[in-house]
Amino acid sequence: MRPARTDAAVESAFREEWGRVVATLIRRTGDWDLAEECAQEAFAEALRRWPDEGIPHKPGAWLTTVATNRAVDRLRRVRRGAELLEQASRDPLAGPELRPPELRSAMAQDADVTADSDPSGIEDDRLRLIFTCCHPALPLEGRVALTLRTLAGLTVAEVARAFLVSEATMAKRLTRAKAKIADARIPYRVPPAHLLPERLGGVLAVVYLLFNEGYLATTGEELIRTQLCGEAIRLNRVLVSLMPDEPEATGLLALLLFQHSRRTARVSGDGELITLEWQDRGLWDQAQIDEAWGLLRAGLKRAAAGPYQLQAAIAACHAQAPTAAETDWPQIAALYALLLGQLPSPVVRLNHAVAVAMADSIDEGLDLVEQLAQEGELSQYHLLEATRADLLRRRGDLRSAATAYERALAQAPTEAERRFVAQRLAEVRAQPD
Amino acid sequence: MDYLLLICSDGVATPEKAAAMRESMPGWLSEMDARGVRVFGHALANASAAKTVRVRGPRTFLSDGPFAETKEFVGGIDIVECADLDEAIEIAAKHPVARFHMIEIRPFTDGADVRTKVPTGETERGQRYLMFMCADGIPATDPEEEWVRTEGASWFEAVKARDPNSFGHALKSITAATTVRVREGQTLISDGPFAETREFIAGFDIVECTDLDEAVEIAAKHPLAAFHMVEVRPFARDEASED
Repeated sequence: MRPARTDAAVESAFREEWGRVVATLIRRTGDWDLAEECAQEAFAEALRRWPDEGIPHKPGAWLTTVATNRAVDRLRRVRRGAELLEQASRDPLAGPELRPPELRSAMAQDADVTADSDPSGIEDDRLRLIFTCCHPALPLEGRVALTLRTLAGLTVAEVARAFLVSEATMAKRLTRAKAKIADARIPYRVPPAHLLPERLGGVLAVVYLLFNEGYLATTGEELIRTQLCGEAIRLNRVLVSLMPDEPEATGLLALLLFQHSRRTARVSGDGELITLEWQDRGLWDQAQIDEAWGLLRAGLKRAAAGPYQLQAAIAACHAQAPTAAETDWPQIAALYALLLGQLPSPVVRLNHAVAVAMADSIDEGLDLVEQLAQEGELSQYHLLEATRADLLRRRGDLRSAATAYERALAQAPTEAERRFVAQRLAEVRAQPD
Repeated sequence: MDYLLLICSDGVATPEKAAAMRESMPGWLSEMDARGVRVFGHALANASAAKTVRVRGPRTFLSDGPFAETKEFVGGIDIVECADLDEAIEIAAKHPVARFHMIEIRPFTDGADVRTKVPTGETERGQRYLMFMCADGIPATDPEEEWVRTEGASWFEAVKARDPNSFGHALKSITAATTVRVREGQTLISDGPFAETREFIAGFDIVECTDLDEAVEIAAKHPLAAFHMVEVRPFARDEASED
């Protein structure tokens, strides 16, 4: 076997198995740092041994066994060290007692069972890990960082880059989150049924936040940080495979796929943001759209639509329209009205206003935007002014549109969005009144 | 694992809210006592009855009010023994105060052993006081911390000698704090203490004293008073208590 192929096999095993190996090790040892270190050593050993020995039949089981053995060795050393110290302080003449630690045999038994054939046990570990990483008693930034590091296997440097903070800051964030898990004793488990809806909501929120951080890139100069989007989708797939009966997990995956299918069309050759209306629909990733449709239909059969399913359904309306002009705005406005019933946030209200403007009348939509503006909750959100400006422009009120674009320009958080708003502003100024 | 629940208020409750909380208290108490998770609990006297003690050099400085100037204040404590943080959150979320105000959950450092060590007997000498050992946010040096540890241990021995029913223990770092609120049936969980202040509660003692003067005298002898401060607060008289 050629080393390059083995490297690729380790790389692929890493993507697939890292979360599983770490999750199982945490359950067995209760020590997050030890679990990560031993998983890392197991992957390093794979790189050394697989070129000669060949890729094992079950790479995940192989890696878990190697990592577990490392952990056993380390714990045994620590324990023997402690025993020696204790003995030495009690009786300096007595030799060390070499009894096998119960922990080791317990872990060895556990390892045998899992290594044989119990994939369900391993899957449960990954779910335990997801729910613990996203526990609501952890700070949100800690949840996100821990999920990317521990479950997705990004290095500390990669997680730091994804959130545009220094590696030292990110390392501290991770250390703090792990310390809280240990100090406050956050349980390592899948929550019981009565807590599940609430806690699953928290997990999905972290996945969605990861995706949005990649998709909207609220800070920095890049428009889309594809790696974050990819990780969010991958994590969402894991959730769907582990909890196939949770319609909102499926709904979120459909939503992410619909949005991600437009990633290429969303940015122009020179890095400018292109809105839905002006995107080249031929660039949309049809395979992802098809997959999203399948997920959406399957989920809707099972339960009344929740917020993620409704948002996926809205995205589906856009995906279905061959041209922007053929968009089924009445359907979208109706879906936003349903979403408002479940999630009455100002941003949802803003989107509802746009749909109403496009479906019924621009004036009606503008009235809704005006109400929102008066309530002041979105006063720092540049898309409120940008939306108002766009509707004013469609109504032909170019002077007011220009004023609103100016306000949006002052609030736009990223360079790309500033360029986008500046471009629109230049357009309305260039048109005769 | 042993946890301290700080029953916190974010301001004065309306009479209706106060009545609603009082009405629901017996249900919570009987559930938690039946489950055997609650070891001790009592309301504190009004925050206006609090005195904060600082010792700088030879002088003792006494100020009125709690350790930090905030709208939020601690109104009572419960000490519970739970399997893990999720059980503590569940217990806190069921507490009537969580619906109107909030509850901070703080794990004890190891060895608190609240089941056997927390006093449950009647008071004989007069009044029980709660002493919050508060840090003012300026980290102590290692030798200072070591000094507080050793001196604190002998302080506690002296307190114990005078009142065998006293209890005290350090809490884990403030970064292990979790705050629970319940609004419209939803349990809202957040990382961190009940109020965003530089000052925080590092540990506490429950001591029986004849009067406030004795309580202040005892508090002033605690090594932490020399660096940081100690808030002294009487427990509420029984008619206003949780029991």
